[in-house]
Amino acid sequence: MKKILKVEQIQKFYGNKDNLTKAIDEISFDVEEGEFIGIMGASGSGKTTLLNCISTIDTVSAGHIYLENQDITEIKEEDIAQFRRKNLGFIFQDFNLLDTLTIEENIALILTINQVPEKEIDTRILEIAKKLGIEEILNKYPYQVSGGQKQRCAACRAIVNNPKIILADEPTGSLDSKSARQLLEIIENMNQNMKATILMVTHDPVSASYCNKILFLKDGKIFNKIQKGEKTRKDFYHEILDVLALLGGEQNDVR
Amino acid sequence: MLGKLSFRNAKRQAKDYVIYFITIVIAVALLFSFNSIAVSSDIAELSSSMKDFSQVIFGINLLIVFVMAWLVNYTMRFMLEKRSKEFGTYEILGIEKKDISKMFTIENLIIGMLAFVVGTAFGCLVYQVFTSIIMNIFEQPYQIAIVFDWKAVQTTALCFFCMFVLVLLNSRRKIKKTKVHDLLYADKQNENNRIQNAKGNVALFVISIILFLIGLFVLNLDYADVDKMDGKETMIAIVMFITGVYLFYRSISSFIVKRYLENKTRKYQKNHLFLYRNLTSKINTMSTTLGTIAMLFAFIMIGGNVALLMNGMLNNEIAMGYPFEIMVSSLDGDFSKYREYIEKNAKVTDWYEYQTYYISKTNVHKALEGTTFEERFDDELDTVLDLKDYNRLREMLGYESVSLKEDEVIVQCMKSAEKLFVDYAKKNHKIEMLGKEIKIKEVRAEHLSQLGFNGYMYCIVVSDAVLEEIENRGLKVEKPSYNDIYKLVVQTEETTTEAFYNGLSEYLVYDELEQTTIIDGEEQHFMVNIALGNVSTRGNRMTQVKSFYTMISFLAFYVALIFVMATATILAIQQLSDSEKYKYRYELLKKLGMEEQGIRKTILKQILFYFCLPMLIPVLISIPAVLIVGQIFTVAVTVGEIWKNMVVVIGIFGLVYGIYFVATDVQFERNIEI
Repeated sequence: MKKILKVEQIQKFYGNKDNLTKAIDEISFDVEEGEFIGIMGASGSGKTTLLNCISTIDTVSAGHIYLENQDITEIKEEDIAQFRRKNLGFIFQDFNLLDTLTIEENIALILTINQVPEKEIDTRILEIAKKLGIEEILNKYPYQVSGGQKQRCAACRAIVNNPKIILADEPTGSLDSKSARQLLEIIENMNQNMKATILMVTHDPVSASYCNKILFLKDGKIFNKIQKGEKTRKDFYHEILDVLALLGGEQNDVR
Repeated sequence: MLGKLSFRNAKRQAKDYVIYFITIVIAVALLFSFNSIAVSSDIAELSSSMKDFSQVIFGINLLIVFVMAWLVNYTMRFMLEKRSKEFGTYEILGIEKKDISKMFTIENLIIGMLAFVVGTAFGCLVYQVFTSIIMNIFEQPYQIAIVFDWKAVQTTALCFFCMFVLVLLNSRRKIKKTKVHDLLYADKQNENNRIQNAKGNVALFVISIILFLIGLFVLNLDYADVDKMDGKETMIAIVMFITGVYLFYRSISSFIVKRYLENKTRKYQKNHLFLYRNLTSKINTMSTTLGTIAMLFAFIMIGGNVALLMNGMLNNEIAMGYPFEIMVSSLDGDFSKYREYIEKNAKVTDWYEYQTYYISKTNVHKALEGTTFEERFDDELDTVLDLKDYNRLREMLGYESVSLKEDEVIVQCMKSAEKLFVDYAKKNHKIEMLGKEIKIKEVRAEHLSQLGFNGYMYCIVVSDAVLEEIENRGLKVEKPSYNDIYKLVVQTEETTTEAFYNGLSEYLVYDELEQTTIIDGEEQHFMVNIALGNVSTRGNRMTQVKSFYTMISFLAFYVALIFVMATATILAIQQLSDSEKYKYRYELLKKLGMEEQGIRKTILKQILFYFCLPMLIPVLISIPAVLIVGQIFTVAVTVGEIWKNMVVVIGIFGLVYGIYFVATDVQFERNIEI
């Protein structure tokens, strides 16, 4: 398997000398092509910061991140936008759809930014939309559809441009459990059938159980790593719960 | 405690209030400076007609107060929306609505008072500038002195607080009505996306265009024929324009959707998708405001142009009608008393007495047939000038002298009708006169007062031989109705004054004259007291014209500036509030990988489009409308000058507007922090 993302000893500090917060403290890991990797941890554990660093929205204080051998911490300011739109796909917690655009146009937006020929845009959207089961709502506006449908649209937008990696930040955070499950099945489908590499930040064990590999963060460090392997989702879910129990149950927290 | 909180808030909100604050300051400054001019005794003394100026200003203030109230109300609503979360939090913390609205009121009072004080101080300066400009127009010495007129302050304060109180009451009512939930989640609310009947709207769009065209046509009916002008058509046209404007801005977004967003190839080009969707949703929610703004613009443009045309006409009238400083005419040719007075009261550089002759109408007047000039031309006689006199007059005005062969004449006409006469002379080289044909040597159009002093519209200059023949044949009309035969023209060293004119006119002789008028088919005779002759001086006319000029241009400037500022502020505030409210849209674009350059360009286009849109219809309508209305000025103003005025008005307007546009663009980019 080809390594697609390589995170090397990255650190991210906030604050000043007297009051230093280490949001990320020497994290290293690899993501292989076609992997569906989850990052878990409590609030403040640094998982969103990690995602932001990978997505070039934030910069690291030290260390390197390679996406297919390109060091993204070294990309020049003026090239970042281009890098982002060519290589990354995003799914956000609060959908981030533009309410003035229809679902179809929201998906088309990323393609127009990438200057995809106008004639291709339609067919590409339709193809992906069919796979993700949203072709019937393409002409509706975001406020006319449910949260689950909105997030499926966002997922569609994330993958339509064939990015090297899809970054999802708490994608089920705003959904009810049924919609969340549907969305996760779609993301799983994107991973298994469309060969998308996905990096998902979540604190929900159910969501995490869809991943093949999970990193647990605590206080900016990797606390644990587990693989799904041949386990069933149910077994994997229980394993996650065990790690979480360990993660939250430090002795000095309870006296 | 609450007072402290609101004072601190006002301080902290200062950044957000900047555009609003500046606009209020400028408005107060203008309000104050114009009120100062209105009550200033220096200016009232300049001429008798300047006294009307103050009354007009007080009247116009009323209009200004309404426009300002609209503006302030709008800004207040924007501030309320912006701070909804803050107010919502206060409410959740248990502060009563009553107290919140009290706090908001105090805060706005602080800002308002500050703006008032700064504006008044600034207004003092502006007043100095305006006064020196006015004094300069009247060529009066003026020394800058700090004048602080309490009456002006009072009037300004009254206007200002009327407006402010009205608006505050309105926002207090609004605060009382809103619910906590709405306050807390105001930023989550979407643009009011009415799903519209697109087909119907495109029909409305077409109707609005048709209304504009018919409106222009109807307007033309009124102005094409000045004598039949009754204003009825103008009213109809105005109603059509207003209806058209609102329909247009209601339906334009559907048109854009149809034009740019229905065709997928066009839609997916460049950044069309984001840009036009943003715009159309904005236009949809703003159509009424845009319509109102467009109407104000149209009002400024047409009003400004007509004001400039009037000025142009008056200035041209002086050049055309008053080539000499003093012009006296009389029926008896006795100018001794006049000369005595003139010599005593002015430094004469040159003078000349001469006589005009009259013959029955020749074919020359046919040059005016079928034009707007024809209607005013009902004289039975043509005026004739002797070449000797003509050359002497030319000499006085610094023109080269001309010569004529025995059988030649010159047609001396008004500048504005020059082309008509030249064209006519090309086709008809001869003039029928004294029963034979005499050659027209040339047509000349220097200002030699063909505005009635030496003929009306034109006069015929003849050689001595022809003149002799006129006298021999007895064709000279002795007392041709009221045409004065004998003329005196004087050039002086300095411009004469209003008082000089009043003194000179004392010498006019009046006589009872029987006049016959036909009323209801019956001839009626009555006596009128009529002056046997006429006195006019350039100095006097200039004072009058200057008063008018000052009044019109200052008022037009005043109203236009405030209107433009008010409207541009509203557009700017709209865009800036959106920049904060919809910051996430641009953040998303950035996350999706659009380059900064691209985002900047999109924003620039969006604001440009948004600022141009309400200007589009006013410019498109006002150009033909001004040309149509300008027809009544064409006696004294050429079409070229009308165009020139138009460029000036649009230019000045565009400049002020442009400043707001640039400021908005800069602030917009700063707000979304790309």
